[in-house]
Amino acid sequence: MTDPKGKVVIVPCSGIGKSYGTVTREAAYEVTEDLLPEETRLIALSLLVLGDEEARAAVAESPAVTIDGCKLACATKMVKESGGIVAQDFTVLDCYRRHKEFKPQGIVELNEGGQRLAHALAEEIAATINNFNHAPVSDTNQGGHHA
Amino acid sequence: MPDLPKKKVGIVACSGEELPAGTVTRLAALKVLEELRPGDTVTICLPLFLAGGEGDRAFARFYPTIAVDGCDKRCAARATEMYSSKPAASLVVEELITDQGLKLSGSARRLDESGQKAVEITANRIAEWVDELLHKHWSRRTGTFIESMEVVETPKTTQAGCLCGGTIPSQEVMVNGGRVTLVALPLIFQQCSQTAKPPDDKTADEILEIVKIYNQVPAEEEAAYRVALLHEYELFCNQQEAAR
Repeated sequence: MTDPKGKVVIVPCSGIGKSYGTVTREAAYEVTEDLLPEETRLIALSLLVLGDEEARAAVAESPAVTIDGCKLACATKMVKESGGIVAQDFTVLDCYRRHKEFKPQGIVELNEGGQRLAHALAEEIAATINNFNHAPVSDTNQGGHHA
Repeated sequence: MPDLPKKKVGIVACSGEELPAGTVTRLAALKVLEELRPGDTVTICLPLFLAGGEGDRAFARFYPTIAVDGCDKRCAARATEMYSSKPAASLVVEELITDQGLKLSGSARRLDESGQKAVEITANRIAEWVDELLHKHWSRRTGTFIESMEVVETPKTTQAGCLCGGTIPSQEVMVNGGRVTLVALPLIFQQCSQTAKPPDDKTADEILEIVKIYNQVPAEEEAAYRVALLHEYELFCNQQEAAR
């Protein structure tokens, strides 16, 4: 799956001031660069905020997986505002509730707990995307569910 | 005057995750917020201009803002102007470092030595502009400088003061049957209450005048705003009294 149009779009939240935002970004990079580079592509949220046509087309043409760092859910809201379909939305907080042993700290550089949390989140996302690929198309576009 | 946040400079980074220069914007902004000018700067996540509330959209009106972009799409500068107010200054990392003979290599995920150098150059430029902007008089009503001073133009070439979800306190009130959001109203009420101002006509006049500093109040609706503000202040005072 190398055609960009066929790839699942990964949109992290772009949070700048808290560890959770950094976790979203790390998880997104891990999915798109390490775990599923052929099946996914990353879209910067700032492009959707601006209404960049190419970014809007990307989320409109492919299922999107959003990763939010806080309850404001900027990534999920922006994908929907941009005409995209959120196939699955993930939040760092939900993942942290499942992995209380990985407490994230640091913004520029995540501590070990943050890195492990990002890794756990990335694996959850990759597993979900793998399920998309084995599910009927209609099942991948329901959206709106927290992992 | 209510005890509103002291004058600070806002920094909005594009944080573009697809390009090394986007990572440079984020790390440079954080360097300024955490190390170089921690007491004088605040930031906001760019998407909050759309996903957040009125208080978030007031960001660039309250704070003279520096937009920091990675590439010439200028998402931070353009989106800030589109949804909040025109940035007081802006820069594009790719242009800034090219001017200094630096070429970015490496990935957006992990900056290499050139990326680290770019962070340093960009952060220093932002810090210089912070110092300049702090010495100018800023109108929070209009989101512009009061004096006709030269605004820095785009060169051609912890918690980090993050305010997401709570940029400027605001409150909705009913005016003429319509709901309006007034920026800074909770702080204004708090200040009046702390100085024991009773909910009367005189206080209503004072509150209206302060509200007008931070919000656009149509002249023909001032009377209606005054009535609404007095009503809300009475409720606020009653709540304060009940909490004692």
